[in-house]
Amino acid sequence: MKLNRRHFLGASAATGLAGLSGLPLRAQANTLNVTAYGGVWEQAIRDCFVAPFEAKTGATATVSLGGPAQWLAQVEANPENPPLDVLIMTPDLAVIAAEGDLMDEFTVEKLPNLADIPQEFTDACLGKGTYFDYGVGGITYNKQYVSEPPKGFAEFVERVSNGEFIASVPSISYGPTPVFFLWAMNNALGGTVDNVDPFFEAMAKMKDNLVFWAGPNDFFNHLASGEADLGIYFDGRTWNHVDEGVNWIDFINPEEGGAMTTVAVQKPKHASDLAWDYINEMLDPANQSKFADILNYGVTNKKVQYSEKLAARVPAMSDALLPPYAEIARVRNGWVDRWNREIGM
Amino acid sequence: MRLSDLLLWLFTAAFFVFMLLPILVVVVISFTSAGYAAFPIPGWSLKWFARIFEYQPFIDSLWVSLELAVVSTVGSCVLGIPAALYLARSRSGWATAVTTFLLSPLSMPMIVIGFASLFFLSALGLGVSFLALAIVHTVICLPYVIRTVTAVYRGISPAYEEAAMILGASRFTTFREVTLPLIRPGIAAGCLFSFLTSFDNLPVSYFFGSAQTNTLPVVMLAYMEHQFDPSIAALSTLQLALAVVALVVADRLYGIEKMTVAT
Repeated sequence: MKLNRRHFLGASAATGLAGLSGLPLRAQANTLNVTAYGGVWEQAIRDCFVAPFEAKTGATATVSLGGPAQWLAQVEANPENPPLDVLIMTPDLAVIAAEGDLMDEFTVEKLPNLADIPQEFTDACLGKGTYFDYGVGGITYNKQYVSEPPKGFAEFVERVSNGEFIASVPSISYGPTPVFFLWAMNNALGGTVDNVDPFFEAMAKMKDNLVFWAGPNDFFNHLASGEADLGIYFDGRTWNHVDEGVNWIDFINPEEGGAMTTVAVQKPKHASDLAWDYINEMLDPANQSKFADILNYGVTNKKVQYSEKLAARVPAMSDALLPPYAEIARVRNGWVDRWNREIGM
Repeated sequence: MRLSDLLLWLFTAAFFVFMLLPILVVVVISFTSAGYAAFPIPGWSLKWFARIFEYQPFIDSLWVSLELAVVSTVGSCVLGIPAALYLARSRSGWATAVTTFLLSPLSMPMIVIGFASLFFLSALGLGVSFLALAIVHTVICLPYVIRTVTAVYRGISPAYEEAAMILGASRFTTFREVTLPLIRPGIAAGCLFSFLTSFDNLPVSYFFGSAQTNTLPVVMLAYMEHQFDPSIAALSTLQLALAVVALVVADRLYGIEKMTVAT
């Protein structure tokens, strides 16, 4: 068929009219709108939580891909009729959402599996959510160039300062940096939430031997290209690379304890009560175990039994430190400001 | 060859290398056999293109993006062409103010437009929906149609329309038979820019994302944050191919030269 303007414009208009069917997304009685990060995360959410939820309740769950800032904004804009029923949140945003009275209280009566989640994880969300998954920030290194990696943050700082290694560390533009890098290293070097001088002094000593990554994929590129020998990264992401065939990479949980980077689950106020059934599935030990196997990250139910491969990889909760997210939220802006002035990246 | 010509040639060549090499690297990585993005590639494979079609959110969001781009382009034309025709001929001070207002989305950070629109449209009861997304995309695409149509229309002598009306043509007939054919390159250029602006937009679409309304850039971002394979490079290559096809179609229908004169 010959392409002419009339055909082209007609086809365009028809496609456009076909798209005019979207009305506002609202919670429906037997449908739950849940959230997931993209890629392997989304598939794991569907297989481990959505499938058992649908099988047990007969309801349907639709999965919205995206990120916590986006989902929280959508709930804030529609607090009386939230477009989402279950949110996956970063720990700092979980605190903000709880403080803003946007989320429902978590209790064992509503969520029987909550009884097997450490109470501190629910307390960290001010009782309006809990953690269901965690990673640990530590030292990832290229085995081809680093035969004896630093065992902890203090040794990392000393050897990078001496020029023994070029290190790739997260820049301040990456959201979790103030917690999993700044707080964790500062804590290991003897600092406190109100005194981050040890961290900034360490960064000044290392500055000639640092490169900065703005996103997790940058870190891997730094190591793959030889631009850096080691750096600060996450355990689960490192193991995912290993499982994809990258055999020259390895991870160490620092001896002082890496920061636990958690993922919270919350239910917006006025969201469907079916959300409780879904969240209970997210906290179920068998479902969490399956989820951990797919993602290479730790999960929070105390009854979870990890597979042999994963048991060797996932740091025990007692070997990682739970950052005081609510306290950090109070001083975080000051840290970022000081970082911008003294480090700049 | 004179030294200045040689330097100009070298500068131009360096400029094109600087601009095109990163794109070329992405295209090459999309054909890698490795499970991760690294350059140079260890071997060649089409598996990451196959992965695009296996991952259903890519396909679903591609359709949403295409529908949205078409709807917002049509919306921009419906609103923008009459506005441009009036504003181009008006000598009122208000016309300048209105034109500036209509072009203002170009000078505002997209993330601010997205965030503010989410709250505004939610207050109106439209919330997170395709309709809300289409309205905001129309707002951000509108300046392209107004800009290109105004530029073309100002270059056309009013005598053509006056002659048609003196010979007895009604206003509508004059528009259909005289004005519209003359401003067609401007409309085509505006449509092309609108379509590509909407199709590639992330900061506005991000705030309206849901299982039903996620666009391709939003899904690509969500995927990239937690997956390390080169399928995003393959998807970028396909997007690039789509943009090239759009340009070729526009060239066949209207001629790129006429459209670039319009802008």
